Amino acid sequence: MKLEVKGLKKNFGEQEILHGISFSVESGSALGLLGRNGAGKTTTIRILMDVFKGNGGSVLMDGKPFRPREYQIGYLPEERGLYPKKTVSEQLIYLGMLRGLSAKAAKDSMKKWIERMGVSEYENRKLETLSKGNQQKVQLAQTLICDPAVIILDEPFSGLDPVNSQILKDVIKEQIQAGKLVIFSSHQMSYVEEFCEEIAILNHGQIVLSGDLKEIKREFGRDRLVMSSLDEEAPDLARRLNDTFSDLLEVEKIQKDRVIIKKKQPENKPAILKRLLEQDVDLEYFGLYEPSLNDIFVEKAGDEA
Amino acid sequence: MKQFVTVLKFELNNYFKNKSFMLTTILLAVLMVGVIVVPTFIPGLLKEDTSGKKQDTQIQEEAEESESLGIFVDTGEVQDVDSLLSSMPYQWKTYEDENSIKEAVKANEIEGGFILHSASEVTYVVNNLAVEDRLSEEFSSALAAHEKRAYLMGKGLTAEEAAAADMVNINLEPEILGKNSVRNYAYTYALVFIIYFLILFYGQMIAVSVTTEKSNRAIEILVTSVNPNSLIFGKVLAGAIAGVLQMVLIVGSGFAAYGAFKDAWGGGLDFLFNIPGRVLAAYAVFGTLSYLLYAFIYGTLGALVSKTEDISKSSTPITIVYVASFLVAMLGLTNTDSLMVKVASYIPFTSGNAMFIRVSMGSVGAWEIILSGLILLLSCIVTGIFAAKLFRFGTLHYGNPLKFTKALKSVKEQQ
Repeated sequence: MKLEVKGLKKNFGEQEILHGISFSVESGSALGLLGRNGAGKTTTIRILMDVFKGNGGSVLMDGKPFRPREYQIGYLPEERGLYPKKTVSEQLIYLGMLRGLSAKAAKDSMKKWIERMGVSEYENRKLETLSKGNQQKVQLAQTLICDPAVIILDEPFSGLDPVNSQILKDVIKEQIQAGKLVIFSSHQMSYVEEFCEEIAILNHGQIVLSGDLKEIKREFGRDRLVMSSLDEEAPDLARRLNDTFSDLLEVEKIQKDRVIIKKKQPENKPAILKRLLEQDVDLEYFGLYEPSLNDIFVEKAGDEA
Repeated sequence: MKQFVTVLKFELNNYFKNKSFMLTTILLAVLMVGVIVVPTFIPGLLKEDTSGKKQDTQIQEEAEESESLGIFVDTGEVQDVDSLLSSMPYQWKTYEDENSIKEAVKANEIEGGFILHSASEVTYVVNNLAVEDRLSEEFSSALAAHEKRAYLMGKGLTAEEAAAADMVNINLEPEILGKNSVRNYAYTYALVFIIYFLILFYGQMIAVSVTTEKSNRAIEILVTSVNPNSLIFGKVLAGAIAGVLQMVLIVGSGFAAYGAFKDAWGGGLDFLFNIPGRVLAAYAVFGTLSYLLYAFIYGTLGALVSKTEDISKSSTPITIVYVASFLVAMLGLTNTDSLMVKVASYIPFTSGNAMFIRVSMGSVGAWEIILSGLILLLSCIVTGIFAAKLFRFGTLHYGNPLKFTKALKSVKEQQ
């Protein structure tokens, strides 16, 4: 299956919130929808889910208009909430049945997922008696209870501690391996980096960057090198590079104990290395710069504070 | 359809698993049975009713005898004042002038005083005049009888003959060809009141059940996995079924208990429980339909607000409409043929009550009942469809309560 979003627009009153969002994602892979608060991630997801209609653009599944209710979709909305006065099992079975499972299948699936999420001891407890993190896990069990082919998660990691985040990451990885189509939004870059092949960065209702994460990183790292020295602190090394290497490179920034430089010519790498040896720099590290998603995000979405 | 059934079951469960709901139902049913059964075991309460009454009057008479009254005769017109006084069972004191009788009343020596100015003019002196003062009436009728007898005796009749002239008793027995409104009044009133209570109480509950999912934010999951029509119809019908079941249980246990203990009561509660089948049928049809109509409206109102606290404010207008409909019915109970009731029996918001009281207490043609029923049914369906549309629109609107008109406009624009 291939989900394509083309030129999505949305107005709230007079104000246009989305100015033509486009991206696509296929089964067996995950798309990370990244953006700062208010960038339009949730609005995009809600239009996908037909919570409300967009004012322009289209959402296609395998080339045909996408109608969410015709597919098994696991949806974790940003507005978390279930029935606080109901027991965990009761509401999971209810929601499973609403999405087409038989009473028995819903019960079996409920057992499986609360076990997987590590909340099976609370099966017969009222939801409101659970901690926030555990409620979140019940919410995730709800998302996956009907074995959805498409999984859409809006900020799935918010409110989870590192251990629970790890469980969730593992579950999402499993789902991707099982050939599910996963879309999720987040602003926690480190999680996205771990299992996302495709990303789309949203800023002020526009896609400012999208594509294969590895390529994006390579693109971003191109012409940049990173180095560090054993006997010199990073600022000293940076100063030396500025003074004596200015024909070959310019220092871009210092990141912890390493210096990131930009080559003036793409083919300058051997020359730089040669001069470093000539100058007797005690090299600790020398390599291609691989930006973290965080760096890319800050650069693309952090321009206007 | 499957989703609708799932929603309906879940929502019904919400009612039946609610302890206070079950407790109220059971308590009220037990109370109902108790009120009917317990009196039959208390000796003398039901069967020896009449002897009880006698005792009462005796006590009253004794009390009256001890009362003392005063009289001042300021005229020569009235003859044989003693026999007039002896016809009233009180202790009489005679006074010689107006002031002394007033003083005596003021000092509470006597309950009241009568000053005879002529055979037809009397002043009644009393400290505080109660609304239902029997003494003055008693005195004037005693005086009238006394004067009549004196007149008849003046015409040559003996005292016995004159007394006999007063003893003619007329026995009036009504024969009712149409409806006995007096007998129908009690159960009609009771039935209208029950549906009044049901609509106001369950209307709020239904509104709350819709709003709750908005306030606990489960709604986004629900509307993305369920057809909104299934959702609102399931919720409203669950509320309706729960309400009707509760009522049937409570009232039904009353009927059952009365059926079993009817002899012990000697048919004494027939005015409440002996309801003709066609009245019950009209009640079932009109009651259920108007209940549904209001249930849908309350459900929609629930969807337009985000917090349960806002419900009472938003639902006030419709509550007022219903209370008005109830008042029309209450006024109509005394005159089912008035124009007001006739008009009201065709307006869907009022016809539930108005048509029912016309069927129960007045005479109404079959075509009128059918027409009114169809109008009501149609309104129900239209409101239901409308409710589903507004519900879908209102569900994800958070914040200030949506204005009804604004919501309508937005629904129109979306189409």
